[in-house]
Amino acid sequence: MLKLGGNIDPLTQAGEYGDALFTITADPFLPKSIRNRFALLTEDSLDAPGYGVQLVTNNGGKDDEAPRPNVRIYRLPVHFNYLRPGDIVFIDNKRHFLRTLFRRESRHNSILLTEQCNHYCLMCSQPPKKTDDSYLLRRTSELIKMIPTDTRSIGFTGGEPTLYGEALIELIRQAKLQLPNTSIGLLTNGRRFGNKDFAARFAEVDHPDCMLGIPIYSDDPVRHDYVVQARGAFDETMRGILNLKRYGQKVEIRIVIHKQTINRIVNTCEFICRNLLFVDHVALMGLEITGFTRPNLDLLWIDPYEYRDALSEAMHVLNSYGMNASVYNHQLCVVNRDVERNYRKSISDWKNEYLEKCAPCTRKGECGGFFSSSKMYKHSAYITPFV
Amino acid sequence: MTEFHQIASYEPQSPKYQLLPFRLTELNDEKYVLTNIAGEYLIVSKDIVPRLVNHQLSTDDRAYIELRARHFLMDSATAIAPDLLAIKLRTRYERLANFTSLHMFVVTLRCEHSCQYCQVSRQSDDKRQFDMSLADADAALDLTFRSPAPYIKIEFQGGEPLLNRDLIRHIVCEAEQRKPAKQIEFVIATNLALIDATFLDFCYKHDIKISTSLDGPRDLHDRNRPRPGNDSYEKTINGIRQVRAALGKNKVSALMTTTEASLGRVKDIIDEYLAQEFKGIFLRPLSPYGFAIRTKSYMRYNTDRWLEFYKQGLEYIIQLNKQGIEFREFYASTILAKMLTSSDPGFVDLMSPSGIGIAAVVYNYDGYVYPSDESRMLAEMGDQHFRLGHVRQNSYNEIFLSPKLLKPIEESFAFSNPMCHDCAFEPYCGADPVFHWAMYKDYVGRKPESEFCRRNMAIFQHLIELMEGDLLVKQLFLRWANRC
Amino acid sequence: MNLEVTFDSAVYSMDAVKAACYKFVDRFSPDIEFDHGKIVCRLQFDDKLARSTAESYIENLKKEVLDQDLRLKLKTETEPIRNLILAHAFSKTGLIRDD
Repeated sequence: MLKLGGNIDPLTQAGEYGDALFTITADPFLPKSIRNRFALLTEDSLDAPGYGVQLVTNNGGKDDEAPRPNVRIYRLPVHFNYLRPGDIVFIDNKRHFLRTLFRRESRHNSILLTEQCNHYCLMCSQPPKKTDDSYLLRRTSELIKMIPTDTRSIGFTGGEPTLYGEALIELIRQAKLQLPNTSIGLLTNGRRFGNKDFAARFAEVDHPDCMLGIPIYSDDPVRHDYVVQARGAFDETMRGILNLKRYGQKVEIRIVIHKQTINRIVNTCEFICRNLLFVDHVALMGLEITGFTRPNLDLLWIDPYEYRDALSEAMHVLNSYGMNASVYNHQLCVVNRDVERNYRKSISDWKNEYLEKCAPCTRKGECGGFFSSSKMYKHSAYITPFV
Repeated sequence: MTEFHQIASYEPQSPKYQLLPFRLTELNDEKYVLTNIAGEYLIVSKDIVPRLVNHQLSTDDRAYIELRARHFLMDSATAIAPDLLAIKLRTRYERLANFTSLHMFVVTLRCEHSCQYCQVSRQSDDKRQFDMSLADADAALDLTFRSPAPYIKIEFQGGEPLLNRDLIRHIVCEAEQRKPAKQIEFVIATNLALIDATFLDFCYKHDIKISTSLDGPRDLHDRNRPRPGNDSYEKTINGIRQVRAALGKNKVSALMTTTEASLGRVKDIIDEYLAQEFKGIFLRPLSPYGFAIRTKSYMRYNTDRWLEFYKQGLEYIIQLNKQGIEFREFYASTILAKMLTSSDPGFVDLMSPSGIGIAAVVYNYDGYVYPSDESRMLAEMGDQHFRLGHVRQNSYNEIFLSPKLLKPIEESFAFSNPMCHDCAFEPYCGADPVFHWAMYKDYVGRKPESEFCRRNMAIFQHLIELMEGDLLVKQLFLRWANRC
Repeated sequence: MNLEVTFDSAVYSMDAVKAACYKFVDRFSPDIEFDHGKIVCRLQFDDKLARSTAESYIENLKKEVLDQDLRLKLKTETEPIRNLILAHAFSKTGLIRDD
């Protein structure tokens, strides 16, 4: 697993305090007029004035680095070795902290907009906080101006991004203007769109390629409300989906499979096909062992091997109705073969790993592998390499 | 960390619930079928229903969750059901409204076959007497293009339409020249005995499909369909091969007519369809038009025998699919689409309000217009009750707003018929006023005595019991329903 | 053969009894009367019919009356919401279109 955020070691004290976003470059000879937007990544510090910061990777311990006036220099810990030119980082000069916000090579750039949420899901991977974190939204507005326009896709996540209301709509509008060729995946519980006017205003942005990923955890409204720990959530989410589709928005339904959702997974897929056949995609996803899932593990854990037949049946329903459907976050060796046409290698590259026993597996290249958290805490007892 | 709440705390705070509109019918001794207003069904054990209707059910009952999730009731935990039901209902009717309308041109009554069950064909060389005239054909096309349907299917019927192939050429070219803002599809219903390379070339150029008759294996087919030389089967099979070679594999379909001689031989018939590489079969009901005796008991006897035939056939087809041979039964597929999806395949016999004159219309060889193929057969047998008018003597409005069409449609609308209106199978069933008129001289028929009702009820129940009893069948049926 | 069956009108509605009888018109001709709080059905069967068969039809009739009674209750309670759904389904606005 890649560590996206961490402290960095200041070698000089020069420059402004405060925080800023920088694009990584390895080129010390950029035109002076643009250097302040870049973080110069080199082995040792160079006499190259004008860069926003310099990041050095040499850990040879040359602490007697010649102080360079007017240049902020940090030494990066090794876990940031993955940084490459074109990546975008946030640097907090006060706290000496770096967070990677965008990785050019990754297909899974996911941007956190807020940690506030009106759900409190049993299996939340990003447990909600109440503190004001609207700086995240402001930072994202900056970020999308810096992301290269040839980027295929980016994701916006939370928390619940729609809690920003109009400001979120503005962000999507900016994304459309700044990144006209980039598809957006927005993860939301959809409840805010139960308000028809809000859905209409969102649709007015007319983003050419924005998919809203919305969870429906059960066809039983009470069970859905229980999983998200919010009374009345089911109806609001349903109305949200109906409104979004009324205004021609793309909607993906996302279902996390665990002990509280597995028993009705087939019913739930039938329900989606009968009531929401007009959605654009349905994703059935394995459980990530992080956030609230860890304290709730007994309540949630079921071995994917044990539910493989139910998963097959659910996928059969979706496929029969012609629904565009995918299975995410599972290992190839614990799903039935009939699921493979819907199987996707989905785990974000920065948190995807394999077990030792996977080494001889001949199908590793097709397999999504494990969340780092699953590898560490809990995974199927039936992992068997294909040999 | 905050405590998480138990599921019970998300249950409705009040034990009260609101019933949503649904219908109920006994499935068997233990179970009822319930269908909601959008046609989704749920099977419940009998004791549930009185408790449900009398508001004695609680969230502890397992059925409660199902009833709520499938929109048979709602409570303070959720009120989204009416919206979803309305959307499903609307989707069904919208799709139905956009369905293909079928325009049948009877280009000639002449035929070189002399099938016992055929009420319409004539053995004659007199072209003027039994062929459609050019003027009538053009007038019929005028009517066709006034149809509000966005998709139009023109089907050439007979007799044997290839005996008047010049008129087919004329109608196809004329229809294409008019280039309306509609999609047109052409089909020729032919026994293929007279097909040849030149005409197939014409079919290829104009993307015309072929629908032929195949009643089963050679002996059965030839017995049902006599022609000089007694080689109908041979001609049909050769014809199918020629059509596939010239037009492509999927351009030919086959229909079977079920006669008394077919009844014991459903497997043979299906095997023949498999041998000829068809992907499915429509196991059609016994045609009532061929029977001289119409006593109640005789009809009932025949319905029962046919049902046995149908069930055996279906069982065999299911078995084939379990063996990995993909093969469908089209009548079941049509019904399953209504049961399991919000689509309606628009099959005229199973439409309510009836699809006569709307989903289908027949322009007979003599220029008279009928609202369905059955009603023109009835006319050839002497009952001209459904004759709506003439293509050149009457206007579009006179024909399609004729009381002869509107009255049977309105009177037979199953939504408001006795027994139909509270039948759980009403969403799947049809009105078929022509059948009821032919049998009972009444558009509705008394349903307890209606063989249409008996036959279809039995099929609905059978399909549901098959699905509920076997996951593989349920999965198979789901595929059929969605590829209808 | 004539057989009689009565229903308490405090429990069952005339409509339920009538609808139930209709379902069996192929098996008997009913003659329905209201008599001092009782609904009396005189059922005429084919003379050739075995008495036990006729009695089984009556058992089925009784069950059907119960069903019809439930249907009537259901219909009365759901009439307003049914109209609401139909209005919603066929109104010009406020609903999803697939296109």
